[in-house]
Amino acid sequence: MRNVQTVAANTFREAVRDRVLYNLVFFALLMMGAAILVGQISIGIERDVIVSLGLTAISVIGIFIAIFLGVALVSREMDKRTLYALLAKPVKRWEFLLGKFFGLVMTLTVNTAAMAAGLYIALWSVNHALLKSDTYVLVAVYLILLKLALIVALALLFSCFTTPFLAILFTAGMYVAGLLAGDLRTVHGVELDPGTLRLMRGISYLLPNFENFNVMGAVVHGRGVSAAIAWQATLYAILYIAIVLMGAAVVFSRRNLK
Amino acid sequence: MNHRAIHGTILGAALLAGFVGVWKLQEKVDTERTTLQMENDELALRSPAVMKRLSLEYAPLMGAIYWTRAVQYFGGKHQAHEQNLDQLWPILDIATTLDPNLIVAYHFGATFLSDAPPRGAGEPDQAVMLLERGIKANPEHWRFYQDLGNVYYFDKKDYLKASQAFEAGGRLPGTPAFMKIMAAKIAAEGESLETSFALWMDLYQTATNKDVRKNAEDHLRLVKMEMELRALNQIADAYERKTKQRATRISDLAQAGLLSGQPLDPEGSPYVLGHLGRAEPNPKSPLREEWMKEKKR
Repeated sequence: MRNVQTVAANTFREAVRDRVLYNLVFFALLMMGAAILVGQISIGIERDVIVSLGLTAISVIGIFIAIFLGVALVSREMDKRTLYALLAKPVKRWEFLLGKFFGLVMTLTVNTAAMAAGLYIALWSVNHALLKSDTYVLVAVYLILLKLALIVALALLFSCFTTPFLAILFTAGMYVAGLLAGDLRTVHGVELDPGTLRLMRGISYLLPNFENFNVMGAVVHGRGVSAAIAWQATLYAILYIAIVLMGAAVVFSRRNLK
Repeated sequence: MNHRAIHGTILGAALLAGFVGVWKLQEKVDTERTTLQMENDELALRSPAVMKRLSLEYAPLMGAIYWTRAVQYFGGKHQAHEQNLDQLWPILDIATTLDPNLIVAYHFGATFLSDAPPRGAGEPDQAVMLLERGIKANPEHWRFYQDLGNVYYFDKKDYLKASQAFEAGGRLPGTPAFMKIMAAKIAAEGESLETSFALWMDLYQTATNKDVRKNAEDHLRLVKMEMELRALNQIADAYERKTKQRATRISDLAQAGLLSGQPLDPEGSPYVLGHLGRAEPNPKSPLREEWMKEKKR
């Protein structure tokens, strides 16, 4: 585990050195702009917009970082040939992958926590107080973080066996498909034979269901999220990430790096 | 000043001049384009279901954006004194499909749709459709029943359905007694000035938005004036019974001892007796135009 920790810490340091956290400035400006503007151009949705815009920004910025940095985690090490020096040391390939995963998740956690703090400041500036319902925003942020961790795992998996460009496409495609996975189980208006329906149903369960991490609709309107939803999503993320990382480790360990 | 600083200054000045040029040019283009008199289509995509799919997990934000567009569209048309609000319903349709829990979109959207022109779109049927959708998505929100009752009462003049809406809302937990009282009052009296006054007063007292409050205040002023005109007409009738002739001026009523002085409307203008000796607002009163419009409705 020590090797994993070392790789993770270095990955985090590298991300900070690469000025990844600069996106926080953009987020801060966005939230300040929204807080000032929305009250003037709309009616009765100041809080709703601050929460939905904040959560959307946290999610979208996080997804960009997770996909682009997630794919670059392995490919950049190979391009720069630093991977060979690393693997010459007593570090197993799966330890390297796991370290990279945790390093980027750590980066995303810091990034997401900072943005969540910014969101709360914006909420405070609109209401001049924090309400009880604002605590649910934290649940939404936590679920977004789980989603981002899953995206990092997928990006890692794809980057282990294909080019960075294709890995980005596959990860982004998997994210969109995962959001629509539930729809495959409830197709209306088309006549399909039972075999196709069963196949679609099977695919819908195999795809990572990103809707599991989406509670924005409730949280925006100050509605609570049950503890069951949170722990089930946590369990789902852990299980799915474990499967994906195992797959990535298998592919990466068999990959010919020469 | 070294070469680097000089280059930097020249570059900065060139950029600034360039942006000022773009800005000025855009103003000219905007002015020129107004001559085209094209109706801007507010909606590139008209299918709410497709919009929802395209919004992925960010539908609540998209819903808020569409609601803001509805407000801007309505406000823009209002400011330009344009009556054509045919895109209001599609925008509200998309906003509430994207976010079915967007309470304000139903509440204010129904007002925008139901109010008669020039205040609103004059589409009470669409307002009913919007509110019924709001009730389905948010069954615990009793205010929608009140809004529905108001649309039936004021705009559709369907007092049975208005009473039913207030009654249905009154059955929800936490609803104020006002709802049941209004249900009974409308069922018993249909349209009456007292009922209208009570409905507008509640809207006025509970409104959180200044435009809605102002709208309620304007209506309250008109209803109050109607009540005073009705009282004056009763006095004029009494005068006629007493003198066997119809009064032609308000002062006739005062001279007969039926009035203690010159009554004023809520804007401070003296009432007058008009055609056939019926009381009406002074032609100089700021409320007269609005009163005439209400009469025509």
